[in-house]
Amino acid sequence: MHRNARALSLAVLATFGALAPAAAQTAPPFTTKNGEWPSYTGDTKGTRYSPLDQINAANFSSLQVAWRFKTDSLGPRPEFKLESTPLMVKGVLYTTGGTGRAVVALDAVTGAQKWVHREDEGERGAAAPRPLSGRGLAYWTDGREERIIYVTPGYRLIALDAKTGNPVESFGANGVVDLKADLDQTISPDLTTGEIGYQGAPVVARDVVVIGAAFREGTAPRSFKNNKGYIRGFDVRTGKRLWTFHTIPQKGEPGYDTWLNGSAEVTGNTGVWTQVTVDEELGLVYLPVESPTGDYYGGHRPGNNLYGESIVCLDLKTGAKKWHYQIVHHPIWDFDLASAPILADITVDRRPIKAVALPTKQGILYVFDRVTGKPVWPFEEKPVEKGEVPGEWYSPTQPIPTKPPAYAKNGVSLDDLVDFTPDLKAQAVALASKYKLGPVFTPPVMSKAEGPIGTLARGPTNGGTNWNGGAFDPETHMVYVAASNAAPSVLGLVQPAAGRSDMNWIAGSAGGGGRGGLAVQGLPLFKPPYGTLSAIDLDKGDIAWQVAHGETPDVVRNHEALKGMNIPRTGQPGFLVATLVTKTLVIAGDAQVTSPPGRERGAMLRAYDKRTGTQVGEVLLPAAPSGAPMTYAVNGTQYIVVPVSGGPYSGEFIALRLAGGR
Amino acid sequence: MRFVIPSAARNLGPRSLMPGVIAVCCVPLFIVALLAADRSVHAPKRPRAKSVWDSVYTANQAARGETAYTNTCARCHKASLAGADESPALTGSSFLANWNGQTVRDLHDRVRTSMPTDDPGTYGRQLVTDVIAYVFKVNGFPAGSSELPSAADSLKDITIQSAKP
Repeated sequence: MHRNARALSLAVLATFGALAPAAAQTAPPFTTKNGEWPSYTGDTKGTRYSPLDQINAANFSSLQVAWRFKTDSLGPRPEFKLESTPLMVKGVLYTTGGTGRAVVALDAVTGAQKWVHREDEGERGAAAPRPLSGRGLAYWTDGREERIIYVTPGYRLIALDAKTGNPVESFGANGVVDLKADLDQTISPDLTTGEIGYQGAPVVARDVVVIGAAFREGTAPRSFKNNKGYIRGFDVRTGKRLWTFHTIPQKGEPGYDTWLNGSAEVTGNTGVWTQVTVDEELGLVYLPVESPTGDYYGGHRPGNNLYGESIVCLDLKTGAKKWHYQIVHHPIWDFDLASAPILADITVDRRPIKAVALPTKQGILYVFDRVTGKPVWPFEEKPVEKGEVPGEWYSPTQPIPTKPPAYAKNGVSLDDLVDFTPDLKAQAVALASKYKLGPVFTPPVMSKAEGPIGTLARGPTNGGTNWNGGAFDPETHMVYVAASNAAPSVLGLVQPAAGRSDMNWIAGSAGGGGRGGLAVQGLPLFKPPYGTLSAIDLDKGDIAWQVAHGETPDVVRNHEALKGMNIPRTGQPGFLVATLVTKTLVIAGDAQVTSPPGRERGAMLRAYDKRTGTQVGEVLLPAAPSGAPMTYAVNGTQYIVVPVSGGPYSGEFIALRLAGGR
Repeated sequence: MRFVIPSAARNLGPRSLMPGVIAVCCVPLFIVALLAADRSVHAPKRPRAKSVWDSVYTANQAARGETAYTNTCARCHKASLAGADESPALTGSSFLANWNGQTVRDLHDRVRTSMPTDDPGTYGRQLVTDVIAYVFKVNGFPAGSSELPSAADSLKDITIQSAKP
């Protein structure tokens, strides 16, 4: 069986190999079609699709470890949050790892280290708002030279020679571009400690590097003023800045008037901390923009606040804006656009559409024509509740797509609460009574010790889908996306203690009264499924299938009050579960480790039949996947590489393949 | 006490993935196996081990921990302990899953050596212990009359158990 599978894969490779020379003029030289993984999401389109099929339904459960690479020694101490997805080009894996974000090249077959490049950034690195190993790298070649592009924790752009790991002297100043400089603003207070950085993987297309911008988590910022997250394009050969897009418009630019009282001048953040995607053919960049300063309070920035929480399409060469759509007006829910926009060529009512689909924290997939920016299915501006926080400015409406339906739970009502037993339900209702409940876009409230402590929400911060985003299958035209239903957020505001912040209101809970976990006897407050995997048909705008994803958590399976009850698999609240699509499978790991009877403690990597959602295989990993898996083939053998870490388990890449692989 | 940490549960990686791997991935596997063996020395089977359900901290200590948490941890993990895009939750299902079956020493080591990310290793043992007491309180583990100790030897005798025994 294995030999047949390999023969099949070789046939696929041979076919594509034969096509490759003819396509080389227009297509990027390395693609997932050739068994490579040359970009963070496989391609620059956010799809995480590979046509490999040696690993399939018949053999997935028999996958074995090809090699493991522990990242502990890449930094001064072990890292427990390994989020990087490696690239694979010509038999070499390139990845970031370690607490200081080293870059390492590994032999894709053996895992043997070929080179490592480290930067010691001292105080500048320590001050990074987005520290640790980051999400990955970009690869570029002109057919002769090969470069690895990466962004350090201290926000410097570095080009390395892919063969040696040495900086490319001709790029920037001795291989380095200082990203805190040449930014159309002065980074405060200085280049060393000034708050701005990026932990996403850079993207390179048509010789242009596009770099995001990120800040500290912002529910309780020290100030309503901050540096701004402008987005830039750089020449991959020289490091020269080509363009800068002002995510908060400057005076005289369109959108400046959506910041009342001149608040565009002082408000910051509004960067892109997640992945940027690029349509190389159309020469268009898609930016998923985050929240402006103050995740839950926008009183210092009245108005709709363009381009906060907007998808923005730019010209790749010039940075000129082509179109934008604001997903959330006047953002006060921390609904950062957290996922890479997914570029999807679809057919709706027999009409071919070049679409872009955006998974979100609110569990809604927003789908646009990516050329025109027009929604594929109309959005309705729905009235939403106006809140009562003094000084806040509220948008009366928010856009809601008519299709596809929400793929995750995104509001809270009493009907959503855990009800395994009447006793549990009663306790859940009692707990929820201290909070304000409501549908998605119910605004934050002033926190009161006697209640409401805050608005109880699903979606903000750790609901729906976050930075691992989804995947798109060019064959079935499905978006495969995992989502969390069961991680509540409390949107409560308090006045900051003296000296804490110059904001009028920051996130917090009043008095500590009633403060505590949002669990009922340790059980999730909400009914299962706690997390799902969905296939969303982009030709129809429907959810084709949806399954609970993830083993039932130990706390549920072992719970005293549930003994003797037959509870179907609940899934897990996994807002960071990534999906990978191959010829026949959707692959996704559990968000949590579990230890059910009959096997050791660990987290499953699961394979589903991509047409039906039926689970067809599983492999036990020692910790949960903490970044997105990727796949590639070398010498006729297909590999899947998964970064794992979390809790007591430090970062490790685990490469899987079938038995007998070379 | 029902729950005991078996040393085998620690080094499940290679074995659970595949018994036959040893021939083909000698070096990394060997290292992992060594680490696992080393850890098992530190966590021998203890028939009388306590769990977090045995009132292992005091209310006063949790109150000290809350103050410390507010001043140091809340900026990333949030006042609600719910975590954020970049910072894992310290309460609820995913936190309990990460630590279920591990010892309080494991948790203490992890916090002390990796936090805060901008200046790791700078929190004292006592501060970390107090914050853990507060985290236990928020997660619904009962307070009692003795404080959670800071000594690693004592902490390794206390198991984190997500479900009440």
